[in-house]
Amino acid sequence: MSAVARLSRRTLGHTEAQEVETPALSLHGHRDRTPEERELSETMLSEFHGDPRYERFVLGCLNCGECTSGCPAARFYDFSPREMLQVAIHADAATLWDAMQEKIWACCQCYSCTMQCRFGNDIGGIISVMRELSVRHGLESARRTLAPFGRTFKLLSTVGTQLSPDMIQPEFFRDWGPTATRIDATWGVPLEVLRKAIPIDVLQTTRAAWEVSVQTSLELFRIYEETGVLDMLRGVDPDLTEMLIELVDERREEFEELKEQFRAELAASSAVRPVSPG
Amino acid sequence: MLDATDLRTLVAEQRAPTQGPGKKVVDVREEMERLEAKGEIIVHRIRPENRPVEVTNLLGRPKRIPTDRLWHHKSCGQCGNIPGYPSSLLWVMNETGRSYLNEPHQTSCTAWNYHGTATSNPVALAAVAARNFHRAYETDHFPLIHCGTSFGDYKEMRKLLVENEDVRHKVREILRKLGRELVLPEEIVHYSEWVHVMAPEIVARRVHDVSGIVAAVHEPCHYYKMVPEDAVYDRRFFGGQRPAPPSSIVMALGARVADYSTWYDCCGFGFRHILAEREFSRSFANLRKIRPMVEEAHADVAITSDTGCVTTLDKSQWIGRAHGFSYALPILSDIEFVALALGAHPYKIVQVHWHATSVEGLMTKMGIDWPTAKVEFQEYLRTLKEGGSPDYLYPPRHEIERYFAINKGPVLPEEPPRPGSPAVKTLTVKEGSG
Repeated sequence: MSAVARLSRRTLGHTEAQEVETPALSLHGHRDRTPEERELSETMLSEFHGDPRYERFVLGCLNCGECTSGCPAARFYDFSPREMLQVAIHADAATLWDAMQEKIWACCQCYSCTMQCRFGNDIGGIISVMRELSVRHGLESARRTLAPFGRTFKLLSTVGTQLSPDMIQPEFFRDWGPTATRIDATWGVPLEVLRKAIPIDVLQTTRAAWEVSVQTSLELFRIYEETGVLDMLRGVDPDLTEMLIELVDERREEFEELKEQFRAELAASSAVRPVSPG
Repeated sequence: MLDATDLRTLVAEQRAPTQGPGKKVVDVREEMERLEAKGEIIVHRIRPENRPVEVTNLLGRPKRIPTDRLWHHKSCGQCGNIPGYPSSLLWVMNETGRSYLNEPHQTSCTAWNYHGTATSNPVALAAVAARNFHRAYETDHFPLIHCGTSFGDYKEMRKLLVENEDVRHKVREILRKLGRELVLPEEIVHYSEWVHVMAPEIVARRVHDVSGIVAAVHEPCHYYKMVPEDAVYDRRFFGGQRPAPPSSIVMALGARVADYSTWYDCCGFGFRHILAEREFSRSFANLRKIRPMVEEAHADVAITSDTGCVTTLDKSQWIGRAHGFSYALPILSDIEFVALALGAHPYKIVQVHWHATSVEGLMTKMGIDWPTAKVEFQEYLRTLKEGGSPDYLYPPRHEIERYFAINKGPVLPEEPPRPGSPAVKTLTVKEGSG
């Protein structure tokens, strides 16, 4: 093999035929892509560089590596914010495609890299943009990565918070130990009683972080509808999304019935905000 | 050769703000004034009744911290699994005579989900932030953000809404469909900043001597690494080289803050990782935070000021024993530590039993009679189990508020405010506020 053949294909101006023949993970590090994936990665590259945040977040790079030196994920994963910034700067769809399969999901979103960057790049922010692209286009890697988050999506969409006390179950949080996951057994009372012992009215629930009023949670769902968040969710989990829409529709019907139930009290309070039926 | 004065003049001249898509502005607060004058936004101002205290941010610019008449913007993680965090804060507010509103008409900021799964976008995040800003505004209470990530997200969203005309327009349209207007607070205020400026009043109420306590402080990333210029710095603490809160209150109470080499590291929360890939979170927390806190700082307790940090550092320690990490370092938020030092009930108020790593040893060292308090709490639980009524820090909400966001204070004028016109008209308070 000649010396030139060992160089990265980015320096060689490779042909499409060469690219198709490339093994799944070749020495120069690129994954093989089907023709559809190649087209999709070109589309994503175009959308990525066209995102209004791109110019604000990506300002230049000295390759100094300060970002990576303070990165928690870099200590445990094959991941480097310096590399992610280089991927963002270079207009190479194959490299972007590779980074979006796994690496972008290693980032902790702590913004240590952003704080340390001499150039003022927002590296944590640009990784978020890559993640959004991955979700919006329903990449298999995004679906796989986000599979455990159905409960979080459901909570946000239906009750307006993203954690509930009854989520902390031993089978999912075994590593947190018995004090955290079996607090009811530790104190000999049901979880509901322990929540009732919190001296804040809206926290006395097990099904949400706090009890969000129905009107308020419907406002959040309306925002999700108006901003395309539901379409993003649909790309990751279509069945869950349709179920959430049905649940919220039922909740809206209940809300209209509640208006009748509380008609007199609502009439006395002229400042109740309307919620559009959507 | 320019001298310092020439340089400052030059910088001031170059600070002329720009406006439009993708343009950065130098001081978002100055641009907010201009946008309000154009009728594009309403600025929720800190007023004398909010009893503000002035501090300085990273750039040395003034930041006013309201201390009274506050709207609690709660945290999912705190309320969900560290409930003593918000109850300690409300208790300290009661003790120091501050009024507040804690109501069910607030949504999550949704930023935990965003940073974990990316299933959102800037317009959605900004609309959620603006929705909650408006709710605080219409109740005439200034928003106080409990969560570090909500604080970081809202700083970003306020900046985005000021800098980006397109996002501003889209969010305004969404808010209109909700019957709301675009309101941006004069300052985005984290609760630890409230604790920081309340230090003199807090220290005056201390009942337990904490001078024998050594604390290692973990600075939450989203407090000072996102939109860094909004974080509070004070030359009296670390020479102004690190954020002042939460170290400042620990030192003010008389405890010793000990340094350690990885103070700058994150906790390992990771947003996605803490729920779905905790191998990383617990490894990072034990190796990079807990171990140096104990072996270098010889800490009795780790103090921090964010939801995810308390969760990760506290709950990652039990499994660490499998690899010989048996440190059992208590992890508390600054306000829980404050409440304990001020004599709050460890179980009924500080709710220490929700912590996975025991706090009892620390309480013994602080001189707190926790065994008696524990017996009292067990009796209280028995009463509640038999149908007894719980104690509250403020009068509980009325039934109608489970469903409807009843207005409690001023409402917006029908037309956007013009310069010189009153920003709000006041209605009678209809429901009991805190």
